[in-house]
Amino acid sequence: MLEYIVPATGLLFTLENILWINIGVFVGSVFAAIPGLSVILCVILFLPVTYTMTAIPGMMFLLGIYCAGGYGGSVSAILINTPGTPHAAATMLDGHPLSQQGRTKAALKIALYASTFGGVFSALMLLFLGPQVAKIAAQLGTPEYFMVCVFGLTIIAGVSGKSMIRGIISACLGLLIACIGSDPMTSYDRFTFGVSRLYLGLDLAVCLIGLFALVEILAKAEKRLDALHLDTRKIKDDGKITKSEYKRMIRPVLLSSLIGVMVGIIPGTGASEASWFSYSQAKNMSKHPEEFGHGSVEGIAAAESANNAVTGATLIPLLTLGIPGDGTVALMLSALMINGLNPGLSLFTTDGDIMYAIMLGLILVNIFMCIQGKFLTTLFAKVVSIPQEILTPVIVIFCFAGAYSVNNNYFDVGVALIFGALAWILRKLDMPPVPILLGLVLGKMTEPHFRRALLISNGDPAIFFSSIYCLIFLALIIVAVATIIRGKLNDQKKERAAAAAAANVHEEE
Amino acid sequence: MKQSLDRFHARMDAWGEKLREKEFRIPVDLTVGVIFLIFALVIMWIMPQQVVISEKDVVNGRAFPTLLMTVMIIACAALIVKELYKIATKKPLTWKVINLQVEMKALVILAILVISYMLCRVTDLFVVGAVFCALGFLFYFRCKKPSYYVITIAIAVGIWAAFRFVLGVDF
Repeated sequence: MLEYIVPATGLLFTLENILWINIGVFVGSVFAAIPGLSVILCVILFLPVTYTMTAIPGMMFLLGIYCAGGYGGSVSAILINTPGTPHAAATMLDGHPLSQQGRTKAALKIALYASTFGGVFSALMLLFLGPQVAKIAAQLGTPEYFMVCVFGLTIIAGVSGKSMIRGIISACLGLLIACIGSDPMTSYDRFTFGVSRLYLGLDLAVCLIGLFALVEILAKAEKRLDALHLDTRKIKDDGKITKSEYKRMIRPVLLSSLIGVMVGIIPGTGASEASWFSYSQAKNMSKHPEEFGHGSVEGIAAAESANNAVTGATLIPLLTLGIPGDGTVALMLSALMINGLNPGLSLFTTDGDIMYAIMLGLILVNIFMCIQGKFLTTLFAKVVSIPQEILTPVIVIFCFAGAYSVNNNYFDVGVALIFGALAWILRKLDMPPVPILLGLVLGKMTEPHFRRALLISNGDPAIFFSSIYCLIFLALIIVAVATIIRGKLNDQKKERAAAAAAANVHEEE
Repeated sequence: MKQSLDRFHARMDAWGEKLREKEFRIPVDLTVGVIFLIFALVIMWIMPQQVVISEKDVVNGRAFPTLLMTVMIIACAALIVKELYKIATKKPLTWKVINLQVEMKALVILAILVISYMLCRVTDLFVVGAVFCALGFLFYFRCKKPSYYVITIAIAVGIWAAFRFVLGVDF
């Protein structure tokens, strides 16, 4: 490891990288602070910008957005009781009450410090665990990799929507869209319908601009245009955190960081699950559980450290196996692959200097997030109240410019529009979009492994059950599916019980 | 001008009120099952024309899409059977309410997006579409603040300039 760290440090500490980290952190904080905008939307909009960069600055920029997005969501959660991102909802429970007690700056500082600790802890875990997992990944062959892809897709399809079957249909749709263009093994055209521009396939960023960004613009039809007004002059406390408060934060921050890392490694789970789980654990273990929900320092620290501890952990399965932990890091995979960096052991050996620079860069990203958070919080607070009338067309123009810039043509803008309309229809049918994204990303990897394995076995599908690793992944798929189905059945039972209770109350009235 | 604009808004409001009351429900799982079953069957049907293969291939380019569509057909069949069982046993289905007012508003937004795109394409000047998009959305949101118009158009031109002159995108 040490032989890579010295050259990696040299590659990382350049003015260009530092600049892109700071731009990423700033953009990510701003996007996450605005309710209705998400980190994934931000990464999608800026992904085309990274296509012209080399691997390290491109990844630093995206990681800056990703990590700062973890913290930025807490700004609006604390200030206006509206989480900027879904995972900041747990922070809101105590952050806003503390703000109402006249300690807004203190609440923001607690969230910032806890986020930074969680992020650095997670980055260190990635640094130490990543190469070890990659060594195991190196032992996997073509059929095993296909099983890994199926495992990743199954678990994500299972947890991303209300219904597992709908998730599987979405994943199949994503994988089918990934088939459009030339056959990866024979170069014959597939599903091009005589449109010459489709021979090269559909660009991931263009599809995602439609699926995740333009659909949010169409969703403005569903929402009322409520203005979020915030008087930043109200943030006038000294932001002081007492020694006893710091002491009380230590245990929940440590435990939640560990929970965040463990949750983040599992594909399909994410920052929301980590922050809620950590919040409830911190409450159970606290000497002052009565303070939770009323401005507890421990509550804010637990939720924030957990959701940022997910950031590095989600990269472990991504960089070692090519399985993205969540939708946002799935996009980072394409940023890596465009620079010829493929997940697996070679990433930690042949391209070790670049990889270690990226992993060390994640620590740097968190440090800069802390610095920007400390000095620019008032500015982030101001962006919370940017009017939707201005924000909406600006996002659309960014989407169009981003889609055009991928291949310098308007065909891609049209494709993005079609995907936006398709995503709107899918939303009406309650179809989750994340499995489509995963299908699009993993499609390029799943099909070649599937076909190569069958070529080796001369068409015999028994090859997918031939090795111990294949059987382990098969067992994992069965366990995951069983767990998901059990969870869904429990949820349905609870819903039915709640509905019955509500009906009883209604009858009594 | 102001009066005719107010009259236009009043007419839109009255129309919107009428549409708001118009809702229809769809059995969402059954609909998803049927739509994607048809979709998978159509893909299977057009596969021979759309995916050219060589006779010599052990595993050809149709194998993976066929596998995907088979999985989709099984999943859709499971959804349909589940919903038909619910109907047979008189259990409640999962319904989704579609509101016509929301859908009309979404269509208007889509129209703004399409016209902006067409303007970019026809004039070959991205900035023209960007400015139309800014004005279109401000009009859609019934914005009456002149400062918002100035700010949004300035940002629209700014984004075009940043992509054109800083990132070197040729549009």
